[in-house]
Amino acid sequence: MVQQLDKGRNLLTWFKYKWMNAPLFSTAIALIIMILLQTLVLGFDYDSFGSWFQAWTNNWINILRNNASIGIIALGMTLVIMTGGIDLAVGSTLVATGALSMILLDTGTKGILGMVGVTGVPAFLITIVVVLIFGYLLGALIGVTVTKGNVPPFIVTLGAMMIFRSVTQHFMQGYNTKVPVEFLQIASFKIGSYMIMPIIYWAIIAYILYFVSKRTTFGRQVIAVGSNERAAKLSGVNVDKVKLRVYALMGLLVSIAAIIQVSRVGSMDFSNAGRGVEMDAIAAAVVGGTSMMGGRGFILGTVYGMLIIAVMNNLLNLFGVPPFLREAFKGFIVIGAVLLQRKEKTS
Amino acid sequence: MVKIEMKGIKKSFGSNQVLKEVSFSIKGGEICALLGENGAGKSTLMNILGGVHTLDAGTILVDGKEVEFKTPGQSQDAGIAFIHQELNLINDLPIYENMFLGREIKTKRGLLDLEKMKQETTDMFQKMQVDLDPDMMVGDLDASYKQIVEICKAMMMNGSVMIMDEPTTSLTEQETERVFKLMRTLKEHNVGIIFISHKLNEVMEVCDRYVVLRDGCLVAEGSVSEVSTDDLAQYMVGYEVRTESLRRERTIGTEILRVEGLSCEPYFRDIHFSIRAGEIIGFTGLLGDGRSELFQAIFGAEESTSGKMFLHGKEGTMKNTTQAIRAGIAYVPRNRKENAIIKDMNIFENASIVTWPQFARRGIIDRKRHEDVFHKQRQALRIKMEMLTDRIDSLSGGNQQKVVLAKWLVSDPKLLILDNPTQGVDVGAKEDIYDIILKLSDVGIAIVVLSSEAQEIIRVCDRALVMYHGVIQGEVAGEEMTEHQIMKLATGGKEG
Repeated sequence: MVQQLDKGRNLLTWFKYKWMNAPLFSTAIALIIMILLQTLVLGFDYDSFGSWFQAWTNNWINILRNNASIGIIALGMTLVIMTGGIDLAVGSTLVATGALSMILLDTGTKGILGMVGVTGVPAFLITIVVVLIFGYLLGALIGVTVTKGNVPPFIVTLGAMMIFRSVTQHFMQGYNTKVPVEFLQIASFKIGSYMIMPIIYWAIIAYILYFVSKRTTFGRQVIAVGSNERAAKLSGVNVDKVKLRVYALMGLLVSIAAIIQVSRVGSMDFSNAGRGVEMDAIAAAVVGGTSMMGGRGFILGTVYGMLIIAVMNNLLNLFGVPPFLREAFKGFIVIGAVLLQRKEKTS
Repeated sequence: MVKIEMKGIKKSFGSNQVLKEVSFSIKGGEICALLGENGAGKSTLMNILGGVHTLDAGTILVDGKEVEFKTPGQSQDAGIAFIHQELNLINDLPIYENMFLGREIKTKRGLLDLEKMKQETTDMFQKMQVDLDPDMMVGDLDASYKQIVEICKAMMMNGSVMIMDEPTTSLTEQETERVFKLMRTLKEHNVGIIFISHKLNEVMEVCDRYVVLRDGCLVAEGSVSEVSTDDLAQYMVGYEVRTESLRRERTIGTEILRVEGLSCEPYFRDIHFSIRAGEIIGFTGLLGDGRSELFQAIFGAEESTSGKMFLHGKEGTMKNTTQAIRAGIAYVPRNRKENAIIKDMNIFENASIVTWPQFARRGIIDRKRHEDVFHKQRQALRIKMEMLTDRIDSLSGGNQQKVVLAKWLVSDPKLLILDNPTQGVDVGAKEDIYDIILKLSDVGIAIVVLSSEAQEIIRVCDRALVMYHGVIQGEVAGEEMTEHQIMKLATGGKEG
């Protein structure tokens, strides 16, 4: 195989080889097809290349920005799934951390920071730090229950999903909050004429996590734990610590997503925000080649997966597919992606 | 009364001839012990009788008629029941449902006829004089009752010959008695039993006849009443001793590890020993003796142990494996596939995982340094491989084992624990590994070798501690360290 590659004689052979052996190859191909489709559907009915390009870019920025916070959550989910776990509580953690930012920042009477007289940029900084810590702690709480309590992650996070949202809704009921307009700059600050801050956050986090998963002790230990927990333990990996840190990191990422969401809209609907986010995040990870059995996962793949799903949603929208049917397409994509990946060596 | 004869059975796996013309017979109403060391061919012979393997040459006669067993089903139809070491019971179902697993009795409407199954189970228990409630969950039974349920299940299928593969390894003495009682009842009902066991005392107690295999040949058979356990141990091991010790004179350094009264029920209890720098000690015994659990506890992989442990004279048990590694302990586990190999990672990662935290700078893996040290180990251990990024399972068993060894040697251990280091490794690689062990002891590493092969222990160790049912039964060293002596201790005999 390799020799044939070197000679570059046969494109088909090369393609087949890549398809069978490079884990992200099929996902990347699917993404490219999606991008081409997207471009075709957008059409070329423009006065000049400039205006076409403008429309194309705007369309893409919309897609990316709308999916940035789920994209960030999906990155954390990938790491969780890589350890062989799952986190169903991300949607509820999102509203819980979002609610905390509201409590701190509210411009009405109830904003804690406002009451003690802290406003403006210092208030924003304090809010961000506190919310991030809170998210980290919620995640750590899940992690401790999973590791020390020895409860399956599915159960722990299912419970946490109910608890976090229910408690948030109870304390936030009839609480009509608004954050300061300046806070919205976090998401809507314009670079040039583009509102791309959420995309930048997503890209930075994706890059950091890509690096962490490829090059750091922690990142590789995540794979070891997911692939063979017993062997990892007997090789000196502190399995509990790795798992704990993965869930805490998940919480941290969700709180970042929460800040982005709040700063995009200026408020949060505590009973509906983040519902189904866990499933979207899992879908993105799975489409990106992450194995639900653990031990195998790709940060980059999850970015691809997220984009594939996002572009597809956009396409369905442009085609005018009825909203209720769109979920079905997502379902087909998820199953189809795994069917394709099964072709790779499984042993 | 049924009579089964196996004549001139030959069987090879690849180039390895496992059975060289073995003849064996069993008739109803007798209990025959099938003895031999690991790899002597017992399991292969029984697997042929049970229809798991097909024979290369020879014949099987049931009541004088020639038969062919190509599948386990055919063997079962002929009345042969194979009770494997791992029982085929489902813990979350009650006894009576387990008894009819896969051939449930159904009512006319296709539902399970629970009453009838329960009744038949009760009848069988009465016939076998077993005092058990069919409604109990199998998971709630102790190991002996599980055996008993499995045996009764075989009787339900009109078993007339029963192959029992080491039924008593994981049983206490009391539980063993219970199984023996049932075996005697079976004998009264004219069932023939082939009893595979390493515990010679038990053989003497319950069997009528014995057959000893060694290296694929039948070397001795006769009536149990005419021999002693000593004789049997000698038959199993053989007279020719091919295992010259590789030990040389060396200087023994200071004490590395001392263990006092370490216990972890139900695996081991009240363990005392100490090991010095440059020493190689062997731990051996039969399956279920608790030696692996003992050293996993010392390595911090098992919790809830009591007793004291001194490392370099300082007291303290290991809370987790990370701490143990920092303290200079290395543990190469048994069952490489389950315990040591991480198949989603490549050779390089498998060879460096232990030292990631140690070599890392700000959490980032120092790939260059790992490559350098691994390169040295790769030469020293003569690991045959191509690329560092190849899949770990692209290597042969011996080379995988060397990679596992390499990852530990990089961590610069003071105490190296090797659990079955030559498991699934070919002969050449085996000698390589012995060689490495000796070299390591020369540089002052204290080494513990856990092995069920007495020959291996004799070959590399200075002295050997023999375990039996979770306690150290005795210690042998120097001239005393013979297979015979080790086997005797391992089967529960006393020193002397």
